[in-house]
Amino acid sequence: MQCAANTKNQGCETGYCMINVAPLPRADAAVPLIAFHGVSHMFGNRPVLQDINLTINKSEFVCMVGPSGCGKTTMLRMVGGLQTPATGEVTFAGKRVAGPAREISFMFQDYSKALLPWRTAAGNVSLALEANGVPTGQRAARIKDLLGKVGLANHADHFPVQLSGGMQQRVQIARCLAQEPSVLLMDEPFGALDAMTRQALQDEILRIIQASRTTVVFVTHDLEEAIYLGDRVVALYPNPGRIAQVFDVDLPKPRNQLTTRESPSFLRLRRALFDFIREGEA
Amino acid sequence: MSIAARGLWLLGSIGVTALLVLSWQLIANYGGIPPVFLPGPDRAWSALVAGFSGGELAGLTGATVERMIYGWVLASLAGIALGAVIGSSQVAREYVAPMLEIVRPVPVSAFMPVVMAFLGLTGTMVLVVIAIGSIWPVLLATVHGVSSVEPRLVEVSQSLRLSRFKTLWKIALPNAQADILAGMRIGLTVALILAVIGEMLTSENGLGWSILQAARAYRSADLFAGVIVLGVIGLVSNLALQSIERYVLRWKRR
Ligand SMILES: Nc1ncnc2c1ncn2[C@@H]1O[C@H](COP(=O)(O)OP(=O)(O)OP(=O)(O)O)[C@@H](O)[C@H]1O
Ligand SMILES: [Mg+2]
Repeated sequence: MQCAANTKNQGCETGYCMINVAPLPRADAAVPLIAFHGVSHMFGNRPVLQDINLTINKSEFVCMVGPSGCGKTTMLRMVGGLQTPATGEVTFAGKRVAGPAREISFMFQDYSKALLPWRTAAGNVSLALEANGVPTGQRAARIKDLLGKVGLANHADHFPVQLSGGMQQRVQIARCLAQEPSVLLMDEPFGALDAMTRQALQDEILRIIQASRTTVVFVTHDLEEAIYLGDRVVALYPNPGRIAQVFDVDLPKPRNQLTTRESPSFLRLRRALFDFIREGEA
Repeated sequence: MSIAARGLWLLGSIGVTALLVLSWQLIANYGGIPPVFLPGPDRAWSALVAGFSGGELAGLTGATVERMIYGWVLASLAGIALGAVIGSSQVAREYVAPMLEIVRPVPVSAFMPVVMAFLGLTGTMVLVVIAIGSIWPVLLATVHGVSSVEPRLVEVSQSLRLSRFKTLWKIALPNAQADILAGMRIGLTVALILAVIGEMLTSENGLGWSILQAARAYRSADLFAGVIVLGVIGLVSNLALQSIERYVLRWKRR
């Protein structure tokens, strides 16, 4: 027993042997909610993604890691209906994704551009409620609750220019949650946060999606974050972007910032992922 | 700006104005220009005081300001509405933009005979001319502002599945607010100019008409009083719009 597991084995080409960990029991694990079927993509004549095959089940938390430019954002945009793959197809609930859907919420990587600069933090969260047709009278309480959850209760009246990068990210998180999506696509959502806020939000997100059984696809550069949050971690290789390895995370839930991160399984997985990424860069 | 710098600035501008008024007085007194053509500031001031205490000048000012504001509001509403329609549709933009570019540089004075032929020398005609003249800055600004939404925000709107109308109302038009306000400020100046010209042409009651009367009767002091009032209208309306702009666009300031 020396290394991490992969039930959907991509092959042991990296030299790791795989142990099979019993998958966590999930009620509807049999239904793939999101699926990439042989997806390849080019920008101009530059191949960006090559033959991506991946299925994501309902209520699953999938993290994607990989070097900058390997196509993580592009993959997320395909699920969000903002980008059509050149080859192959992406399906959502069995149907080809042809455009954005209201039950899929997208959290953009460039957070400063994704907020309406003329609306306050509260106003930006309100946009999602307005889109969902929530009656005016019910909005204020929902907004207050959501801004509280992301730690911005005292900044409701601030305009984006008056907020730090991390605060802007949190406003966007609140807006995404306000959408009450069944799928959350998050593109490096915690990149601009300090360590403490980051941990608090990791736990808050886990708590919220646990309660609402939301499916999450989460892009991050932080390998520990990927392990801490994920049910699976998808590691990508660049040029062109392709799936190198999928790691199953066999850590009990609910996760805990201290005990989880100190547990032998966590450390083993962390080691495997680090070695793997380093090898990919070499 | 610090308080001290601001005070110095104010002092300077008051000084310059005082100097200008003084040289005006000197030229009027000793410059050899007959007083029927050039009154000194003293005579212009007393004409101003006399005009306002008699109530006559206030009435004329009111008439011109009313005309200017009606025409300008009409132009602004029409400009924003048309601009929103044109700006939010790629197709409309492609079809209409070339025509706009042809019509825009035509001076409003060229439209005047056409409008006159339909409406005669009436107050309505003046209003229509003001509206035609001051719609352009607002219209073009709206088209630009509505069609230059940050692509990421377009995706936010798609992602939230906002309808076309909601996208226009909640994203494109607010995105255009800075452009629209700047366009409206230019439009207001144009409206004032056209109100005065319109009154001169049609003999409709107002400052333009009274200035023309004063000039014809060689009442130079009254003429200058009217011109001064026009200057003040321009200044005050511009300052008012500037402060509205500052409030509406407060989200731009850090
Ligand atoms: N619209 C586009 N036009 C042309 N090339 C693009 C476009 N979008 C992305 N690319 C290219 O595709 C590749 C993948 O981009 P993508 O944004 O998906 O990477 P990423 O994995 O999200 O990187 P990062 O970690 O830096 O965010 C990059 O090389 C990028 O330059
Ligand atoms: Mg990216």
